[in-house]
Amino acid sequence: MSPETTESSQQITEVEVDILEYAERGEEIPHAKAYRVRIDGETVKVETPCPTGEMLLSKVDKRPCAFELIEEFRHHKNDVVEPGEEVNLRKPGLKGFITAQKEIVTIFINGNPYRIERGERTVAEILSKVGQTPEGYLLLEEKNGPPLPLPSNLPVKISGCEIFHSQVQSGGSS
Amino acid sequence: MEYSKDQLEELKSYCSKLSAFTEGSVTFLYLEGLRLPEGCQQQVCCGLLCPVPRDGYPSRLYFSEQIVSPFARNWNVSNARIAERNWFAFSWRVELVAPTLVQILVAHLAGFTREK
Repeated sequence: MSPETTESSQQITEVEVDILEYAERGEEIPHAKAYRVRIDGETVKVETPCPTGEMLLSKVDKRPCAFELIEEFRHHKNDVVEPGEEVNLRKPGLKGFITAQKEIVTIFINGNPYRIERGERTVAEILSKVGQTPEGYLLLEEKNGPPLPLPSNLPVKISGCEIFHSQVQSGGSS
Repeated sequence: MEYSKDQLEELKSYCSKLSAFTEGSVTFLYLEGLRLPEGCQQQVCCGLLCPVPRDGYPSRLYFSEQIVSPFARNWNVSNARIAERNWFAFSWRVELVAPTLVQILVAHLAGFTREK
């Protein structure tokens, strides 16, 4: 990428740098207006040298309620990045990032976050997070549309980031 | 009976088209493309919500067809003729104090998801 001179500071600033190329050459990453970063092999453009973990995940349409972000360095060293943690993209040896699906994910019930194990869970297990039971409450899931009640006899697949609501039981066969 | 704009807007999210009509003295809400809960054999159908007492129930939800759901229901209304169309309903009593239209709808849809 061609360098550009900033008149005020007279510093040489790269327009866009590829951090993997610099890591492979073992060179220091210069200041730049944007950084090309690999996440799960996909190249994304980041316009700050210090993005947060959550911001980087969002570049590949993933969220911290379901995925974690892992820094990959030269010499096979890996570090987990927390969602609110700032990453220095100019850190020596940083090659890029990979994501991994979390085992303990976050779901949202009535607007509040709760941690739960990924996989198939029962309606009762999910309602228990808010101190409710299927005898007294309906569990509704908001999935590609408005909240709809979930069958109490079927497992609920949890991958992370699901949005649930509870509503008091108010109907019965007669 | 008049329903607030907010309640009607909220109800709209459950179907592809919402309209209202009055037959006799009752205002029905017609929900075209009504989304059904997970586990039902059909994902959508047409629904007719009667939010006021009818047939001895505090409210009723009619369907354009009998729905196969995780729990068998007592379909005690078959081919009821409303607005020149046949409708089906299962026996389900919803008792809520001052419910919104969506709360009534969801409580009826929950009939597909609960044993009793």
